Amino acid sequence: MTDIVIAGVSRSFGTVRAVDAVDLTVAEGEFFTLLGPSGCGKTTLLRMIAGFCELDSGEIRFGEHRIDRLSAHRRDIGMVFQNYAVFPNLTVEGNVAYGLKARRIPPDEAARQVDEALALVQLAGYGERKPHELSGGQLQRVAIARALVIRPQVLLFDEPLSNLDARLRVSMRAEIRALQKSLGITAIYVTHDQEEAMSVSDRIALMNAGRLEQVGPPAEIYRHPASRFAAEFMGTTNLVKATALGLAAPVWVSLRPEALRFAEEAPAGWQRIAATVTRIEMLGPITRIDSTLANGTPIRMALLDAPHQALAAGAAVSLAFDTARLTVLP
Amino acid sequence: MRLAIPHRQRLPLAIAALGLLFLGVFLLYPLANVFGASLLDSEGQSFTFANYTKMLGRPFYRAAIVNTLGIGAAATAITTLLAVPLAFALARLPIPGKAAILALAAMPLVLPSFVSAYAIVLLLGNSGIVTAALREIGIDIGSIYGAGGIVLVYTLTLYPYVLLPTVAAFKAVDVSMEEAAQGLGSSPGRAVRTVILPIVLPAILAGALLVFIETLENFGVPFVLAEDLPIFAVEAFKLFIGETAPNPASAGVLATLLILTTVLVLLIQRRFLASRRFATNARQAPPILKIGPAFRLLATLYCWAIVLLALVPFFAIVVLSFLEFRGPVLHGNFSLANFATLFSRDLRPLANTLAFASAAALCVTLIGVPVGYVVTRYRSGVATLLDVVATLPFAVAGTVLAIGFVVSFNSGPVILTGGPLILVLAYTVRKVPFAVRSASAIVHQIDPSLEEASISLGRSPLQTFVRIVVPLMLGGILSGVVLTWVTVASELSATVVLYSGPWRTMTVVMFQALEGGGAGIATAAASTLIVVTLIPVALLYRLLRRYELG
Repeated sequence: MTDIVIAGVSRSFGTVRAVDAVDLTVAEGEFFTLLGPSGCGKTTLLRMIAGFCELDSGEIRFGEHRIDRLSAHRRDIGMVFQNYAVFPNLTVEGNVAYGLKARRIPPDEAARQVDEALALVQLAGYGERKPHELSGGQLQRVAIARALVIRPQVLLFDEPLSNLDARLRVSMRAEIRALQKSLGITAIYVTHDQEEAMSVSDRIALMNAGRLEQVGPPAEIYRHPASRFAAEFMGTTNLVKATALGLAAPVWVSLRPEALRFAEEAPAGWQRIAATVTRIEMLGPITRIDSTLANGTPIRMALLDAPHQALAAGAAVSLAFDTARLTVLP
Repeated sequence: MRLAIPHRQRLPLAIAALGLLFLGVFLLYPLANVFGASLLDSEGQSFTFANYTKMLGRPFYRAAIVNTLGIGAAATAITTLLAVPLAFALARLPIPGKAAILALAAMPLVLPSFVSAYAIVLLLGNSGIVTAALREIGIDIGSIYGAGGIVLVYTLTLYPYVLLPTVAAFKAVDVSMEEAAQGLGSSPGRAVRTVILPIVLPAILAGALLVFIETLENFGVPFVLAEDLPIFAVEAFKLFIGETAPNPASAGVLATLLILTTVLVLLIQRRFLASRRFATNARQAPPILKIGPAFRLLATLYCWAIVLLALVPFFAIVVLSFLEFRGPVLHGNFSLANFATLFSRDLRPLANTLAFASAAALCVTLIGVPVGYVVTRYRSGVATLLDVVATLPFAVAGTVLAIGFVVSFNSGPVILTGGPLILVLAYTVRKVPFAVRSASAIVHQIDPSLEEASISLGRSPLQTFVRIVVPLMLGGILSGVVLTWVTVASELSATVVLYSGPWRTMTVVMFQALEGGGAGIATAAASTLIVVTLIPVALLYRLLRRYELG
């Protein structure tokens, strides 16, 4: 259990500043996510913490100890990889025991800890199997058990779920979070999937072009994005001039689609705007309704499935929203 | 800030440093001496081009250059013309016994080519068995000696270099390419010509280049078959070892020209292939084409004929080694006398061959595997330099390297001539490029995150290499060991320059028997070499199949 301090860390590849003067503190026991599009520097930053990528400048500390000059195998890190990286020449047991052997844990004790770790990821009884006999989800559980069993100071996850199918991703992310919380190990998780990031994280650092765009709890970044990039990356939004919404201030605002409702169902006191429906998309639990305002600005609305609403493209409607749900962007 | 080598770079840098040190001492230094010898005057004092003008001024040596290049070009062209249709047939036509054909087709790669050349002499030479039989019925086939015979043996022994990569390339063309071409209105024939052939062309050229370089460097085949025809590698050998006083300067000139030619050919090929690399990852192998019975019969005959013809000389040698010779004259009786004579005289050469091959295979593996790992995993100037230097022996004929060894290690701080070590070192240097290439190909298949996982779990990069990378490479390493072993066992060109006294090998025994006319001993030695070569390959084949099944 350790806090992680990243101070003024930079790294360039040629002329590209992959990680650009990043400062971060991850609290002890926190589940922290680096989120961003591909090429934003999140993986480079994670690999710097792991020791697979050198820093041009800055430093990284685990608690009091500076680790960025330490060679990777001395950093006491458990890492889970995108493609599992389960050793194909070893059994499941051999994989999980690998780090314990490196730490010279006596065989009896190691065997006990391996069984415990396999039970923790619901793979009890799979110890004798070879990796090629396991499914993708099971391989990722082996990889997680292998990283947990050494009781590392820090757990690193490099897009661990991106090779799994959608259903499995959803259940695995809940498991990963539950495991991390029960063991209390500080974790850094890399993903490009904002929904996954919101689901697992205590806090998220949103990255763009090597820099931190915004750092905070998931709800805060979602509801109060600090920039256009943050507003758009965290989910669908309407980025419009406030004047188009009938407000006086000449600023850009972000208004989430689910903050809009039809005027007849909205409380009094909400801002109302006239619009023409252009497209209706029924997605099951929610229905997306695209429309345009009088001045041509497109506006997107999302409603929970509402069977009583019978609408067609071209219908003139009145929409409403609570001005408190607007986020003013710089 | 302290200037330090990052942790991640330490292991690769250490391997690169050791690799460069070894190749610096046992490759670059000898080559520099050969080069130096060719550029110094007779006192060895001042720099001069006189050796070059002298050598190139003599029609005999100009003829050697023309002959070598001409024979190489002819052999390469014929080999390619025979092997490409064969490759297409094996990849795409319904030929019975394909697996057997491919296994047999790979055999000439490990069998010594000069044995094939010698068999051709015994069969088709002036007093050859076939020649004599044909003469009885009034047919004169003319002389097999000279360019014709050499090209024949090269074709029979080198065609797998074109065949094997081309079969793989034909199989790797995604079927959708062909379908797209036909969908756009091409006939199947036109699709092959305009789409498939251009895609497999780089593979064909790479194979043809190997054939050409092999012909430039080959010593044994022209030694057996050239008679009075001057050939580069043979003349360099004669100038250096020759009946007259050894002449390092003149030998150095020929050696340098030989290296420059090879390097030039390699550079041209690189240049040409750089713009013609296609990624062809077939999701499924292209289908076997449907053809008529007559065409199918013809294609089948063609495939089997080439593969079997190439093995006839080796088969003939084995048969002949069990027949009775009196001097060079053959009698039809079964006899073990040839082997009795061969081994009663001395078992030492056989023991030497086995020991040298084992030692060299071990050294090549210990150097080639780590170097192949570093040049594949690390992108840096040092890794590139290592890659280039480790590929260089490929462009150096055995004769040339051996001359460099003698010039470098005959006196001075390190004296190796006269002992067994010099042979093992020369073999090691010669075979390193093959080990590096094959190791590199395997490392490409290993996901780097496996190594990172091991390191993050607490194993150092070196422990990770030993515990994760090496076990994953094991099948490939084993194949490499066996291939090195068998090719070293039948190495001739460096051996004949470097052997001395008690350190004769089986190839030297055969070489001396050829010179002395002891046909019985020569065939027995050749048969022994064939057996020594084929047994490990057969064992490996069985072992790898079990490994794959298990």
